[in-house]
Amino acid sequence: MAGRRAALKAVDWVAFSERVPANQRGAFNALKARSDAIVARLASVPEAPAPIDWSYYRHAVARPGMAEDFERKFGALRIPEAVDTQTTAIDTREAEAEASARAYATESEDRVARYRAELEKFRNMIPFDRMTIGDLNDAFPETTLDKVKHPYWPHKAIADL
Amino acid sequence: MLPRLVFISANALKGHGHFGAGLVQASRSLHTTSQSLAPVPPLPEKGGKVRHGIVPEELFQFLYPKSGVTGPYMLGTGLLVYMLSKEIYVINPETFAAAATGAVIIYGVKKFGPGVAAFADKLNEEKVAKAQEVKDLAMASLARAIEDEKKEQWRLEGRSMLFDAKRNNVAMLLETERRERRHTVTNEVKKRLDHQVALQNLHRRMEQEHMVNWVEENVIGSISPEQEKESIAKCIADLKALATATRAKATA
Repeated sequence: MAGRRAALKAVDWVAFSERVPANQRGAFNALKARSDAIVARLASVPEAPAPIDWSYYRHAVARPGMAEDFERKFGALRIPEAVDTQTTAIDTREAEAEASARAYATESEDRVARYRAELEKFRNMIPFDRMTIGDLNDAFPETTLDKVKHPYWPHKAIADL
Repeated sequence: MLPRLVFISANALKGHGHFGAGLVQASRSLHTTSQSLAPVPPLPEKGGKVRHGIVPEELFQFLYPKSGVTGPYMLGTGLLVYMLSKEIYVINPETFAAAATGAVIIYGVKKFGPGVAAFADKLNEEKVAKAQEVKDLAMASLARAIEDEKKEQWRLEGRSMLFDAKRNNVAMLLETERRERRHTVTNEVKKRLDHQVALQNLHRRMEQEHMVNWVEENVIGSISPEQEKESIAKCIADLKALATATRAKATA
């Protein structure tokens, strides 16, 4: 029975708590409360029950053989253990989470690369007081004046002045 | 837009050469090619040096080796006198109008020039500052976005802890269940045995009490009436003897 018992992995609740984002704080608190309750319950139940004093009962019980009978049956008794239904489910969910986390990490890296490229573009830009209008339009395409749509100065709608 | 503003400001408004060490006016090539020569060279801080508001300093430098310091002035005076005397330039009412207008213009420019220049510069600087602000904001937000992404990736690393906690919970629940079952079994067995022992004790006590009662009843029943009278008479006789003995002892 002792071999089947999986070793409890120490969970660093402080580090865990640091990594929880704000919108999942409630779920985390619920999990922590549940875990603490389970730990408390486990601690409150002693490891093994007090052994039965068979010698006393052998003298005390008048009916012959009753105590020995009970002792024999008690020793031979195999208590069925509760079946673990959740661990496989947890493992599958963990695998799924692993996959989605990896996907998110790659996406995140792509985003970081894009942001870095833009940051480099901004850093390598020539200073504004040394740009011409052409340079400004190259750097910020949204500043180009549409001379086809508004052929006359100021080349933009009067409301946008 | 920016180069045009430079031309105007350099020539008309900032042309009073009362500044410090002059800079040679940087030669700015016209943008004749289709490629933009970016970045364009920086604008010179001061416009080209001029003397008396119009005549460029280069002329004086050019004539200095041959005719010294007074050379250009002699040239100017000579030219002026030549034009007046030969009537290449005729003095007419327009001359006085031009002189008056020139005086007013020079006075106006000298008095208001720097102010207008500063105003125009401020306009330009505001434009540049706005653009710079946009750029700075964009860079700051990008940097923050990168930070946030890094933080999110760091958060991801803790995902195994959640599942460890869940598995721990399951294991603890199973262990608790196991222990509780063993406790239940032991307690039940003990209860049965204790019940048996208690039952036995009860029986024995009942038997004892019953026996005692029975013996008492029998003893009382076995005392016959004559024996009772005899014992009562004997008791009275004993008491009388005891009384006389004590009376005798008291008088003696």
